[in-house]
Amino acid sequence: MMLKLQNLTVVYPDKTKAIDNLSFTLNAGENIALIGENGAGKTSLLLAIAGILKAKGAIEIPKQIGLVFQNPDDQLFMPFLYDDIAFGCRNLGLSEEQTKAKVEETLEMLNISHLKNRSSLKLSCGEKRMAAIATVLSMSPSILMFDEPTAYLDPKARRLLAETLKKLPHEKIIATHDMAFAAEVCNRVIALKDGRIAADGPKDLLRDEELMRVLGFF
Amino acid sequence: MINKIQELNALEQLSGGDTYAHRLNPAAKLLATAVFIITVISFGRHALMLLVPYVFFLTLLMILSETPHLILLKRFLVALPFCFFAGISNVIFEPAPYGLISFFTILLRAYLCVMAALLLVSVTPFCEIANSMRRLRVPGVFVAVLEMTYRYISVLLGEAYSMYIAYSLRNAGKKGIRMRDMGSFAGQLLLRSFDRAERVYNAMKCRGYVLNAIPQNRQNFASKDFIFLILVCIFCLAFRLMVI
Repeated sequence: MMLKLQNLTVVYPDKTKAIDNLSFTLNAGENIALIGENGAGKTSLLLAIAGILKAKGAIEIPKQIGLVFQNPDDQLFMPFLYDDIAFGCRNLGLSEEQTKAKVEETLEMLNISHLKNRSSLKLSCGEKRMAAIATVLSMSPSILMFDEPTAYLDPKARRLLAETLKKLPHEKIIATHDMAFAAEVCNRVIALKDGRIAADGPKDLLRDEELMRVLGFF
Repeated sequence: MINKIQELNALEQLSGGDTYAHRLNPAAKLLATAVFIITVISFGRHALMLLVPYVFFLTLLMILSETPHLILLKRFLVALPFCFFAGISNVIFEPAPYGLISFFTILLRAYLCVMAALLLVSVTPFCEIANSMRRLRVPGVFVAVLEMTYRYISVLLGEAYSMYIAYSLRNAGKKGIRMRDMGSFAGQLLLRSFDRAERVYNAMKCRGYVLNAIPQNRQNFASKDFIFLILVCIFCLAFRLMVI
């Protein structure tokens, strides 16, 4: 078991129930696609797992967890990419030498070493996405979570992202509207509707027209 | 505006260098800068000539740290109007030539203080300065405000830039923002910046940021750091005490 949620409920200050008594377990080797229409609770769920949103219920996370935000601009806030990637390592208490080694290793893993000294303002959307992933990967999380990773990407960058994610050995939870991407990268699907699980099963669920209709995709 | 943000980052880029000054302990550099600034501001308002040795000393430090003087000078020009208006009243209200002397003393003191702070930033990554402040027990709120200001300046400029582009594209080819739209533009910018700042802060928390946590990876004082700090203190105090 990598992650276990039990009776998770998230209520916003205006009393909107974003997540309603939700439970599931992420097992080793699983990559979960979180699907659902806008406002279904995908982002709230990711933020609650990451500890950003206060939630009722139990979240069991054995190790470090990494969250890649929908908008990479929110994740890249330092003057240069190197500092952005080093930010998490420094917070983990790594020495400068260890931080440098970790940053280099992460950049190489994602094939973006050439961007090391660039400002995030000068990156393309695809590069920003890879950079945002690097900021999280450098902290060696055991589970990776992505919020709409294909947003703002052209087909080529999207393909590159899918290839990259498939190579990463981590368990993943990916909130997305991109069904083709979900089918390519994930092996399990959890469909959310109004903050509850509408369906949970293998990726074949993505071909279930009835489910897609229930979710409001058709 | 992107170029302006890049210019803001130019000093940070310099701090990634590898000179003797860059390798010194950040806390030693911070303390030395504080001693220098306190000494400079302790001089009287007519002590123009007494400040000259400090100009030479600062220039020497800049040469040793291989910091391009022009970049720092450009940044000082931003502060210049404030110093100018702070000193101009002396010219008017004090009898000649004391008014002029005190005016130029204010300018020179501002030059020395701002350039010393800029020199510190250009040879030390900002996160190291903030960490050193925490280790030196500077109040956490003060360090946090400094850190957030530094981090959010580019966020604010980025938001302003995208809003300005969106505005200009629907402004029938006219340049700038019309006065009647200025209020709502500023208000929207504030609200959007709050929203964006919250998301950035969430991203920071996700990557282990804890407000005012004292970092574990501390760089201990080496003998070279002590020597540097002592030399700066001796120089500053020697010229200051000579006057007393």
